[in-house]
This record gives sequence, structure tokens and C-alpha cells, in this order.
Amino acid sequence: MDTSRSYLEPSSFSKKIAAAIIIIYTVITLIPISWMVMTSFKNVDSAISYPPEVLFEPSLEGYVNLFTNRSRQSPEYLDSLPPPKNWYEELVRSREMVITGPSKFLGRYSNSMIIGFGSTFASVFLGALAAYAFSRFRVPLKDDLLFFILSTRMFPPIAVAVPIFIMYRKLGLGDTHLGMIILYTVVNLSLAVWLLKGFMDEIPKEYEEAAMIDGYSRLQAFFKVVLPQAMTGIAATAIFCMIFSWNEYAFAVLLTQFNAQTAPPFIPTIIGEGGLDWPAIGAGTTLFLLPVMIFTIILRKHLLRGITFGAVRK
Amino acid sequence: MSVKKKFKGLSDKAVGWLFIGPTVLLLLAINIYPLVYAIKMSFTNFYANKIGREPQFIGLKNYIKVLNKEAIWEKMQVTASFMFWTLLLQAIIGLGLALLLNRKFKGNELLTTLIVLPMMLSPAVVGVFWTYLYNPQVGLFNYVVNFFYDFGSFDMIGSSILAPWSIVIVDTWMWTPFTMLICLAGLRSVPNYLYEAAEVDRASKWQQFIYITLPSVLPFLLLALLFRGIENFKMFDMVVELTSGGPGSATELASINLKREAFEKWKTGYSSAFAVILFVTIFGFGNVYVKVMNKIKER
Repeated sequence: MDTSRSYLEPSSFSKKIAAAIIIIYTVITLIPISWMVMTSFKNVDSAISYPPEVLFEPSLEGYVNLFTNRSRQSPEYLDSLPPPKNWYEELVRSREMVITGPSKFLGRYSNSMIIGFGSTFASVFLGALAAYAFSRFRVPLKDDLLFFILSTRMFPPIAVAVPIFIMYRKLGLGDTHLGMIILYTVVNLSLAVWLLKGFMDEIPKEYEEAAMIDGYSRLQAFFKVVLPQAMTGIAATAIFCMIFSWNEYAFAVLLTQFNAQTAPPFIPTIIGEGGLDWPAIGAGTTLFLLPVMIFTIILRKHLLRGITFGAVRK
Repeated sequence: MSVKKKFKGLSDKAVGWLFIGPTVLLLLAINIYPLVYAIKMSFTNFYANKIGREPQFIGLKNYIKVLNKEAIWEKMQVTASFMFWTLLLQAIIGLGLALLLNRKFKGNELLTTLIVLPMMLSPAVVGVFWTYLYNPQVGLFNYVVNFFYDFGSFDMIGSSILAPWSIVIVDTWMWTPFTMLICLAGLRSVPNYLYEAAEVDRASKWQQFIYITLPSVLPFLLLALLFRGIENFKMFDMVVELTSGGPGSATELASINLKREAFEKWKTGYSSAFAVILFVTIFGFGNVYVKVMNKIKER
């Protein structure tokens, strides 16, 4: 009897083989991420031990180092200090160091938040308006306009970075939150318009027509009928925009330095004594990647649409 | 069909412009204006760090300089081989995984979500933590490789032979799920009756794969590769953090070289010409590719 019948109903044996291979791949592909998370809970010594330690005594040294600046002191000086006030001070003292102040990480992280949320809100709002117009009205040169909007995504960021740099310097937008919010809004607009147009196309236009017959104006119908209907699509689009802004590096590294720098250009610069402080980098990475992983899980049904600008729908 | 009108408020036309206007204006200001500016600058000897100096028009000199520079062709080759290997590996592995996942075993949705995680991460941060995995003294990657076959100490990032592979491996790790997801959508779009008909005709499994599955997935796979091709042509963040283009210029992709010319040497005119050339290249290749893709779809 031929058990390997068809694509429609794979035999249970071939299903098992497939499952086994996929599980192995999943495990391998998750190792780098898990390793970084594990490293964040190691102490500086065990992070650089060889062979790499899979079992280790967990430590919060990486997180303490991530959030603080420290300086090395002589044992005499340390002895002269009053006893440590809390656990993290004690941890730092055990390394013969004292905390000299908070590090820049929190500031960079909140910059990422401010710029991420600001640009996401703006691009989804503007994108929803444009998407609605493209979806419902006869716009002259519609296809050309839509293609133009998409094509802006093909520019290498570096190609436009110099003119933007000069323009921002003139306008006083260089290294400001507002400047970065505007920039990321524009970069995300193409995605927002394309994705939201797909979602709006799926809402029957009879809904708002009915509302308009009942006396709503077009604008009221849009805000009170269409937007609530498109909420799922709007949320999915917003998460995609947020992830992009959150992850963006090229513009951030070229156009910001002190005031508006986000976390991605900052994390690589975390340096400990005698080289990179891997547990601290691991801690920064973990805290930075965590929101994205949660978002990905929330988004899983819309992933395909998001990554193809709405070209492929399930 | 004059159902229009008679509704209160702004006319549809006005609403249309009101809704599309801001988006188009913003794109013009922050995308098109800089591009036009870059094109203008590409014909001058402008240096963005010398503020007082008036840039002079020098015609096509920058373009000639870029195209005659051997180093530029080297960068293009580095970029091309990076693109070739990443796209090839991602096509094969991605399609393979999609075929396996399509067998609808228990838990495959959870596994799909987990497999997808790497591509959602920040490429720059990914680059940073792979420098740790690749560390020749303490790196996990080196340990695992040596566990299976003892190569002794090797440095993925420091060796000019291995470094190009180090970025191919990371990019493949990160982006294979992308091709996988899109191929999976392709596989799920194949109508069941095709296979049913093939079975009635006693087509073998292999024949079903060659004549039904592959042609149906191909347009999806090509679309995925188009997206990845454009992205990898512009690749900057992950590689900057991983190898910063080194050692020497072994992994100096076009974008990285562009950044050096534009933001370290401040040769604005020259780098703008290079940027325009890159831009035209993407657009040109992209267009040809889309045409070929559409031809294949039509068949």
C-alpha cells in the first residue's frame, strides 16, 4: 500500500519527519537569541569563559552595568566609604568600583519610545487618510501616485541622508526628537498607505454610504464608521511602523548624536573595562528586543501582509 | 449614476485631496527634495563640511570618477556576491521550510511564529550580538563549529576569507523566515482540485511537485527575492555593526562605502553621484526583474 499519498493528506510518517526537521530548525534558529538573553544574566567573568557556560550562576551584574556608570577605586578608598545602601551598590563594590551615576541607556531607550510612538501615530493617521482616499475615490493618476509612494522606500537611506542632514541643520531639526519623528513618519508612510489601503478595500463601502444617507457627511462617515471598522488593520499597521522606527539604525546613527539618539546606535557603544561588557550589552539587547518579540506574537496573523506591503494576503 | 451629491459636507473631491495631500507633500519634502538636491549636488564639487565655500558646477566629472574607480567596482562585487549567496540560501532553505510547514502537523503555527522572530529584530543590534557569537576566543559559534570538527581557533570577522561568509550567515539566519512565510502563502494558495485531478491521472508525487507545486510557488518566491534583493542591495546596519566593512574592505558593501565617502570624507558631490548611480541600478534591475516576474506569472 502506498502510504505517501498526496500533498492533500500527507501520511502521518511524513508529517512526523517534517515536524522533527522544523523543530530542529526552530531550536537552532533560536539559539543566538537565547544566548544573548542568557548572557545578560551572567557575570562579566562567566560571559568570557571558554568553553561557553550553559549552566551558570545567574547574576544581575549586566543589568546593573547597563543602567549605571562606574569607576574603579582603591580598596582603601572603598573601605573609607559608608556601607552600601542597596544590593546593586554592593554588587558594584564587590568589583572594587563605585557607582558614579546613571548611564545614558534609559535616556536612549525613552528616545526610542518617544520617536517610535510619535512617528507611528503620525504615519498611521496620515496613512489612513490617504489609504481611504485611494480606496474609495477616483484619484487622478492613482496607480502612479501609489507607485511613487512605494518607490520612496527603495532609496538607500544613505543616499538621502546628506541632503536631509543639511536641510535639518538649516531648519534646526538636527538631533531633535521632532526631526526624527518627521523622518520616520515619512519612511513609514509608504508602508502605512499600502497596508491600510488593503484593509480599507476589504470594508464594504455600503457601510459608509448607508451612514451618509442617514445624514453623515463624508468626513463623519470616515471617522465614525470606517475607522472603527478598520481598527484591526490599523493596529497591525501601527505595530509594523513601530517595529520599523524601533529598529531603525542608519538615519539614527547619521543624524543624531546626543539629544535624540535612539537605542540601536547606543547599544554597541556600551563598553566595560578592557573591552565590551557582554552581560551589559546582553541586558541592553534583551530589554530592547523584548517589546519586538511581544509585538511579533501579537501580529502573527498579519505578518505576511506587513512584510510584503500588502502584496500577499492570506 | 448620479447618486453622488446631495450628501452634506465637503465634496468627495475635496475630501480626496485633503486626505492625500499631506502624505504627498511630506514625501515631496523629505524624500523627493533631498533626492533632487542629491542629483544637483552630484554635478558639483560640494563638500558639506566646508560651509562657506560656494560649490562649483563640474558637469559629469563625479560620475566619471566613480565609474573609473577600481575600488567602487570592488565594492559592487562584494555587494553582488553578498546578494547572490544570501538570496540563493534563503530561497532554498526558505522554500524547504515552507514545504515542510505546509504538512499541517500539530503545533506548526507556534513553530512558524518562533521561526519568524529573528527577522523582526533590529539588524544593528543583531550585528552587535553576533560579534559576540563569532568571537574567536569565547564565541559560541566557534565553539559549536569546533565541537563538530576541530578547526582550531578561527576568526570569522577578522579573516578576510571568512568575513564575507560571516555576513551571509547572519543575513540568512535573520531573513530566511521571510522567504519561508511568503512561500508558505504560495503553497496555501494552490487549489486542492489540482492535486485531486493529478491523482486521478496517477501522477507521481514527484510529478505533482514539479508540475503543480513548483509553478504555483515560483511567483511568490520571486516576489520574496525581489524584496530581499532590494533590501540587501542597500544593506548597511547589520554589516556595519558586525564587521564595519572589514577586515580591510572585505565586507565593504556599496552602502557602507557610500557612508564613508559622504559622512567621513564629506565628499558630498562625489558621494551624491555614487548614490545616484546606486539608485539607478536598483531601479533598473528592479524594473527588469518585475517584467520577468510578470512573464513567469502569466505562463
